[in-house]
Amino acid sequence: MIVLLFDNHISMKEPLVHLESATTGYHASTVLRHVDFKVYPEDFIGIIGPNGGGKTTLIKLILGLQPLFSGKLHFPVGRPRMGYLPQASQVDRSFPITVKALVSSGMKTRKAWVPFLSASQKKRLERMLDEAGLTGYAARPIGELSGGQLQKALLCRALIDDPQLLILDEPNTHVDKQFEQELYHWLRQLNKNMAILLVSHDIGTISPMIKSIACVNETLHYHPSNQLSEEVLKVYNCPVDVIAHGPVPHRVLKSHDHE
Amino acid sequence: MSDFFSIFHYQFFQHALAAAVLTSVIAAMVGTYIVSRKIVFIGGGITHASFGGIGLAYYMGLNPFAGAAVFGILTALGIEWISDKGKVREDSAIAILWSLGMAVGIIFVFMTPGYTPNLMSFLFGNILTVSLADIRVLLIYAILLILLFGIFYRPILYTAFDPEFARTKGIPVARYRYMMSVVMALAIVLSIRTVGIILVLSVFTIPQITAMLFTRNFFLVMPLAALWGITGSIAGILMAYMLDIPTSAAIIFFLTMQFLMFKGIILIRNSILRKSR
Repeated sequence: MIVLLFDNHISMKEPLVHLESATTGYHASTVLRHVDFKVYPEDFIGIIGPNGGGKTTLIKLILGLQPLFSGKLHFPVGRPRMGYLPQASQVDRSFPITVKALVSSGMKTRKAWVPFLSASQKKRLERMLDEAGLTGYAARPIGELSGGQLQKALLCRALIDDPQLLILDEPNTHVDKQFEQELYHWLRQLNKNMAILLVSHDIGTISPMIKSIACVNETLHYHPSNQLSEEVLKVYNCPVDVIAHGPVPHRVLKSHDHE
Repeated sequence: MSDFFSIFHYQFFQHALAAAVLTSVIAAMVGTYIVSRKIVFIGGGITHASFGGIGLAYYMGLNPFAGAAVFGILTALGIEWISDKGKVREDSAIAILWSLGMAVGIIFVFMTPGYTPNLMSFLFGNILTVSLADIRVLLIYAILLILLFGIFYRPILYTAFDPEFARTKGIPVARYRYMMSVVMALAIVLSIRTVGIILVLSVFTIPQITAMLFTRNFFLVMPLAALWGITGSIAGILMAYMLDIPTSAAIIFFLTMQFLMFKGIILIRNSILRKSR
C-alpha cells in the first residue's frame, strides 16, 4: 500500500523543466509556437503528433540542442541530468565503435579528456551491460547488433549517468514485439526513479503505461491522463493516427483547428 | 640480390622509408577519423584547395607548403562552419572550394615568371627527394597526433560518432570539430610531400578500410591502418625502384592490392565456412 501511495501522483511542486511560451524552428520556418510545458519529477509523458509536427524539436529544445526564437526554458531546480535516446535513424551503425565505447559515451565526467575510465565507472559500465544482457557483446562493434540489441545499448548509454529525466525518441521503431514488451516493462520500473518523456507516433501501444499525453502539432496540448479516446482527440484537436493494437484496429484522424 | 639490398644503404632511400612510415602513422590516425565520419569528400576538398596556397606562395616567393597549410586550414574550417550552420549545400560548397583552389593554384603558377620545376612533385609527390628537415616535421607531427589522440580519444570518438548526444553530455562539440578540421588539414598538407595532391586521399582511406576488414573498434583500426599503410608503401617504394616507375603511383597500387587480397581471402574463408556448416 505504501508503495502504491508513493507511486501515485505525489507531484512535487517544482517542475524539472518549465517551457514558457517557447517558439522555435529552423531558419525561417517556425516549428513550435508559444509552447507551455512542464515536466515534473514523476511524470511519464507520451509525446504524440503528426510527422513534422515538432515532437523531436520539442525534446531537442529541452535537451539544449535547439535554440529558442522566443520564450523561456527554465530548470527551476537546476538543470537535471538528462538521458537521451535518439531516433534509430540518427545512429550510424557502420561507425567503428564497440558496444562498450557506445555505452561509456553516456558517462559525463568533469574531465572528458581523461582517456581511461575510472574503476568505479568501469564497474558501473559492467553492471549496466549485465542488466541489459549485453555483456557478451561488449567488445563487438554496434553494426553486429540486432535492432533490439542496439536499442538496449542506446538505452544503457542514456541511463548510465543515472538521469533525472529520460528522453526517448521513437524507441519502438525497428524492434520486435518481444523487445517492445521488455522495453515497456523497464520503463515502468525506471519511472519510479526518474521522469520520462517518450516520443511516439504509435499511441496505441504506449498508452497503457504513460501517465499523461502531450499532443504536439506546432502548438502543444497537454492531456493529464493516458486515456486518449476519440472524444479526447476531438477536444484537443489532435490530428493523430490512433491504431489500437486490439483485435479490431481502428483509426481516428482529426485535424487541428487553428485559432 | 646483393644489388637489391644495396639500395638500403643510400641516404635518399632511408629518408624515403622514414617518410613512408611517418606518413602512414599520421594518415592512419587522421584517416580513421575521416573514414569513420564518412567525410572523405571533405578531405578531397582540403587537398585540392591547398593547391591554391601552393600557387600563391610560389608567386610570392614563399614556402609553398606554408601556403598550402594556410589554404588547407581555411578550407577545412570553412567546410566545418558551412556544415555547422547548414545554410549552403555542403557537398556543393566543397566542390566549389575544391575547383576554386585548383584554379587559383594554376593561375598563380602560370603567372610566376620562369620555370617552376617542382610543380609535378606537388601533384604526384616525390618521396625519393624527402629531406631530413621534412622527416623532422613529419616526426614532430606524428608525435603530436599520438598525444592528441591519446589524451582526447574519448571526446574525439564521441563527437565524431554522435555529435548531438555528445552535446547533451556537455562536451564542447564545435570546439572539437574545429580542432579536428585543423588537424586534418595539416595532416593532408604534410602528406602531399610524399604522395602528392592527386593521390594523397588514398593513404587516408585505403589502409583504414583494409584495417576495418579485421576490426570495427576505432581504437584498434588506427594502429592496424598504420601497419597496412607501412607495408603497402614500403612495397610500393621497392616496386617503383625495381621497375623505375613513379613511387606514389606504386604505393597506391600496392595499398589497393593489399586491400583486395585481404577482402578476397575473407570472402573465400566465409564461403568455405558457410559450406561446411
